[in-house]
Amino acid sequence: MTDFAAFAGPLTPELASELRHELRTPVNHIVGYAEMLIEDAEDAGATERKGMLDETLTAAREVLTIINQMLPPGVATIGREAVDGLFERLRTPQGKIVHLVDGLLATVTDDSAVQDLHKIRRAAQRLVPAPAAPAPAGTPQPAAGLPSTADGSTPARLLVVDDDTGNRDVLRRRLEREGYQAECAENGRQALDRIAAERFDLVLLDVLMPELDGYEVLTRLKEAPATRDIPVIVISALDDMPSIVRCIERGAEDYLTKPFDPILLRARISASLEKKRLHDLELEFIRQVGRVTEAATAVEDGTYRSGTLDDVAARGDALGRLARVFDGMAAEVQARERRLKDRLRELRADIGIARTSHEMPAVLDGGALELGHHFAERYEIVAMIGTGGMGTVYRARDLELDEEVAIKTLRPELMMDETLLERFKSEIRLARRISHRNVVRTHDFGEWRGVSYLTMEYVEGLTVRDLIQARGPLQAPSALAIATQLAESLTVAHEQGVVHRDIKPQNLLLDANGVLKVMDFGIARLAESTSALTVAGLIIGTPAYMAPEQLLAETADARSDLYAMGVVLYECLTGQLPFDAPTPVSLVAKVLSEDPTPPTSLTPDIPPALSALVLRLLAKRPEDRVQSASELAGLLRQIG
Amino acid sequence: MARILLVEDNEMNRDMLSRRLQRKGYEITMAVDGREGVDKARTGGFDLILMDMSLPEIDGWEATRQLRAVPETEHTPIIALTAHAMAGDREKALEAGCDDYDTKPIELPRLLEKIETLLRRDA
Repeated sequence: MTDFAAFAGPLTPELASELRHELRTPVNHIVGYAEMLIEDAEDAGATERKGMLDETLTAAREVLTIINQMLPPGVATIGREAVDGLFERLRTPQGKIVHLVDGLLATVTDDSAVQDLHKIRRAAQRLVPAPAAPAPAGTPQPAAGLPSTADGSTPARLLVVDDDTGNRDVLRRRLEREGYQAECAENGRQALDRIAAERFDLVLLDVLMPELDGYEVLTRLKEAPATRDIPVIVISALDDMPSIVRCIERGAEDYLTKPFDPILLRARISASLEKKRLHDLELEFIRQVGRVTEAATAVEDGTYRSGTLDDVAARGDALGRLARVFDGMAAEVQARERRLKDRLRELRADIGIARTSHEMPAVLDGGALELGHHFAERYEIVAMIGTGGMGTVYRARDLELDEEVAIKTLRPELMMDETLLERFKSEIRLARRISHRNVVRTHDFGEWRGVSYLTMEYVEGLTVRDLIQARGPLQAPSALAIATQLAESLTVAHEQGVVHRDIKPQNLLLDANGVLKVMDFGIARLAESTSALTVAGLIIGTPAYMAPEQLLAETADARSDLYAMGVVLYECLTGQLPFDAPTPVSLVAKVLSEDPTPPTSLTPDIPPALSALVLRLLAKRPEDRVQSASELAGLLRQIG
Repeated sequence: MARILLVEDNEMNRDMLSRRLQRKGYEITMAVDGREGVDKARTGGFDLILMDMSLPEIDGWEATRQLRAVPETEHTPIIALTAHAMAGDREKALEAGCDDYDTKPIELPRLLEKIETLLRRDA
C-alpha cells in the first residue's frame, strides 16, 4: 500500500481513491467493534462503559464525515497541502478514540472485550501517520555510513517488492533519499528472478500480491542457501497477529504494518543491514579460518605454496596475525625440509661411493658359531659380521619367521655375575621399548648352551666408521644428515629413560637410503657395570667418545650421550678425533683437561654455527652442553 | 437457522462481521479469498453469500460471475460488500449477478434488513 505521509507531490485521482479506502477501512473496524461492545455493555447493564463506547463511536463517525468531506468519492487530483490538512483534522477525533479506548482498557477485564478494544486502538492509530520530523529524542537514527554493504564501499542495494505502482514509487524515492540504492519488482516471481540474478542487501516485501504472494516469496528465499541470508522486512496491510507470526516463522527479519512510520522503517532497515553486515563478516571470518586449516593440510601434504593466504594475512585482526605467522612458519618448515633432503642426498652419495670402495671384511671364521650352524634351534648362521669388546655379531636367518636378523653373542666373562646379569636384562627390557626408525630394534635376549646372546634387527649397510674411513672428512650436509637423525633417535631413547652410554661411529649404521640406525642401546650398561675399561685384557667402552663424567665414573646421563655425539660429529667433519693419544691413560688426561681444536681450524668451510655447536657438545661440564637431544635436534635443523 | 458464507480477505472485517451475525442467530462460514469463496459456495449449500469485492486470487466480481454460471449457486442470493462507495459500483455489482449491495462501514441494521429481505424472497 502507498505511504501517503511520505508522498511529496499531489495525489492523482487513483491515489486519492486509494487513500480514501485506506482511511475508511480502519474506521469501519472501529465502528464495527464499538457497536459490538456497546451491545455487550447494554446486555451487562454497564452504563458507564456503554457511554464511553458511544463516545468512541461518535468520534469514529466524525472521522468518516471528515473523510467524506475532504475526500469525496470520485475526487479529482488533490494537493499535498489538502492531504496534510486532512491528516491534521483527523488527529483530534483519532486522539479522542485512543484516549477513550485507553480508559476502557483500564477498567475492562473480559479477555474478548480487551482484545476488541486493542483492535480499535490499532485501527485508530492507522488513521493518522506519525509525525515524520523532527525525530523524537531517543529514536534510533541510522549510524553514519550505515546505508552500505558489509565492506562499506558501496551503498546498500534494496529491493522493493510491491504490486502497487504508487507504493513502489514512494518507497523507492524515500529509500534513495536516505542514500540507498533502491530497485523494484512488481510481483513475487519478478522479485525471485531478480534476487537470483543480482546482489541485494535487503528486501522490502509486500504480502498480498497476485500470483505469488509474499509468504511464498519469503519461503522460497529462506529455503535457498544462496538467498537465505538476505534480510526481508515485510510491509503489509495485514496487521493481525497470525499474519505477522506467519511471516516471522518463515524467516522475515521484521514486520511493519501499513501505513508505516518512516522513522521506524528507517531504523529497522538500518538495524537489519547492520545485522547482515555483522553476519557477513562472521561468515567471511569462518571461511578464512577454513582457508588457514586447509593451508595446514597442504603443509602436511607438502603442497603448500607461500602467499596462498595473502588476503587473510592482510587482515588487521588476530586471524590476520595467525595467517602471517603461519605463512612464515610454513616457509621455514619448507626450507628446513629442503635442507634435510639436500643433506640426505649428499649423505646417500657418500654412502654410494663408500660402498663401492669399501669391502666388508669377509670374516668366515674366528667366531664361536660356525657358518650354516643352526643356533638356538631357530637361527641359521649366515655370516660373522663383526667382533668387539662385547662379543661377536653374526648375520643369521630366523627360520621361524623367515627373515634376516643380527645375533650378538656376549662374552661369557660378562655373564658371570648374576646381579649384573639381572641389571643387564632389565636394561635390555627398557631398550626394547624404543621404537624409532633410527634405532636398531632389539628382539630377544637368550642363552643357549652356555652362550648368552641378543637378536636384533639386521641392517644391510655400513657404519659411520666405514664411511669416514672410505670418504675422509664429510661435507657439512652429510655430517648434518647423520647428526640430525642421531639426535632424533636419542630424543626418543632419552624420553624412555634409556641412555646409550656408548655412542660411537661403529655403533651407527647407515642403509643405502641414508637412514641412520643406532645399535646397542642398553648394552654398554653391561660394560660399565663391570667398572673397568678393560676386562680380561680387552678394552670395553671407547674412551675417545666417553664424556669426562663417564671417565671419572660419575653418574652418566643423557648429556653424556650428547658429548659422545659431539665427538662423532667432530670426527665426521674433520676426519679426526678431538683428543687423541697413544695410551688410554694419556687420552683420559687430555679429555679431562684440554680444550679441543675448533673444527673450523681444521676444516675452514664448516659453517661457524656448526663448529660452535660441536664445541658446546664437547664441554667438560654437562651443564655447559646442550641440555637435551630434542633441543639439539632443533638446533641442527636450523643450521643453514 | 440460515447459513451464510462470508467471503472477506480482511481478517478484522471477517472477525467483526461474523461475530455480529452469529449474535443475530446466523450460522457463518468464512472464506478468505475469491477462489476459496467459490469452492465453498458450490459445495456448502448456503442460504446467502456476503461477498467482499476486493479480494486476492479472484476478486468478488469474478467470483460472483463464476457462481452465477453454475447450477448449484445460480440462484443463491449474493450481497456485494464494498468499501468503494463509487457511483458505478452498485450497478457493476448488480451486473455481475449480485442481488444487493452494501457499503462499508457496515451498518448492521441496514445489512440485516437486506439479508432478511433476500432470505424471505427465497423462502
